[in-house]
Amino acid sequence: MSQTNQGVETHGFLGEEFLTWLWFKWETEGGEFTLPGGRVVGIAIDDFLTFAALTEDETEQTLRRGLPTRTEEARTALRQGHRLRKARLLIAEGERQWTATIDAPSLILGGVKLPEDAEECESEIDRTADRAANWLALHEIVQALYRLFLKDRLMPDYQSTGAEQQANWMAR
Amino acid sequence: MAAIRKSGGVVPYFWQGKLIDPRDDEFAEHLSLQRFRTIENAASEEVSVGWITPADPTGDNFSPEDLDGGIGTWLRFRIDKKSMPMKWLQIHRDAAEKARGKKMSAKERRELKDDLMDQLLPRVLPTITLVDALLFDDRKTVLLFATSKSAKEAFTKLFFETFSIQLEPADPLQSGMRSDISDEFKHTLERINPIRWPNTTLDNAKTRAPITDMPRPAPKVAESSTSDSPEDESPPFEVDEATEAESSTDDMPIEVTPATDTPEDPNADNMEDQQ
Repeated sequence: MSQTNQGVETHGFLGEEFLTWLWFKWETEGGEFTLPGGRVVGIAIDDFLTFAALTEDETEQTLRRGLPTRTEEARTALRQGHRLRKARLLIAEGERQWTATIDAPSLILGGVKLPEDAEECESEIDRTADRAANWLALHEIVQALYRLFLKDRLMPDYQSTGAEQQANWMAR
Repeated sequence: MAAIRKSGGVVPYFWQGKLIDPRDDEFAEHLSLQRFRTIENAASEEVSVGWITPADPTGDNFSPEDLDGGIGTWLRFRIDKKSMPMKWLQIHRDAAEKARGKKMSAKERRELKDDLMDQLLPRVLPTITLVDALLFDDRKTVLLFATSKSAKEAFTKLFFETFSIQLEPADPLQSGMRSDISDEFKHTLERINPIRWPNTTLDNAKTRAPITDMPRPAPKVAESSTSDSPEDESPPFEVDEATEAESSTDDMPIEVTPATDTPEDPNADNMEDQQ
């Protein structure tokens, strides 16, 4: 295994906990997050979910199309203690909206769609500058959300506070 | 020159240490030292990886203005791969065996292959893959617009050879270690174990099983890859890892397929014609 894969091997589960936490926050608190610097972003889970297998021998379960978070299969997976491995997210900040599929163990973003190019863009150079800003903004939003999760997750009393609330939500 | 892509897959990386200022001429000079070099006329199977610019796919020019990516620096590298079309080998072998009325020995097959390689490879044009990245020097972050293992490995290797800087993927560990959480939290992060969420479908009462930790996965033992490994049979630099059903062609690096006498290209569905 290369050095660069080590974080995924040893801490990939944390990405899965992060994604499941995003779903929990979205359902219980509405999915609005205030990030450092006062940025407010909205998150929603879209039409694609994959649950991580609890063991290497188990099958991954993927739900797609429609509203997979509302399905009985999704609720059952949560009740069984499954974490999310991948999910397609809608991310909004002000007028801008992104869609992206997060691969939780690596935090790699797939199938990204950036916001529409700004109306002021008159040239390819303008469009490149606008898109570069939107790519960076998406990356920074995901990183900032992950930091929020870590600040919750790394608290010494997490298991008796945040995790307890999330476990109750998963058991519904 | 077209604008940078607005959709697809992206792999973020961090680095530590000081990179040459992308606005300095020295940055472009370093790129040019690792510029792409053509293998169009090569007579052997090989791969060439090197920097080009979005404005010039040859690797001959590195004008700083061609690297302008607004708040970032727009990098592009090119991967050319020349390989013998296996169908041709099969056709010639079948014809030779049919003519003599019996199967060829391993030694004869090897000799036939060597002869055909010498004859045909100079006529085979390489497959071309163009991959973009956006570099944000002030954040020590670079976003790679390709998610395949081979493209990631080619990029991190080329980046290191160019700037002597090792890129780290922004995975859950590195993203945490690079964040503004306290040192105590970072210490906890390095040793943290997964939560074992209770399986409440097994509960037969209103009480839920307690939340517990479970052992953290250990890094897998390294597997050395050799040229004989089955992985080498898969087409490198061609296909992004399938991350989800809705992935679009924008998930893939830009690829250019030259006209060759290859009757079938297994990756033809992933090609985006640039010509």
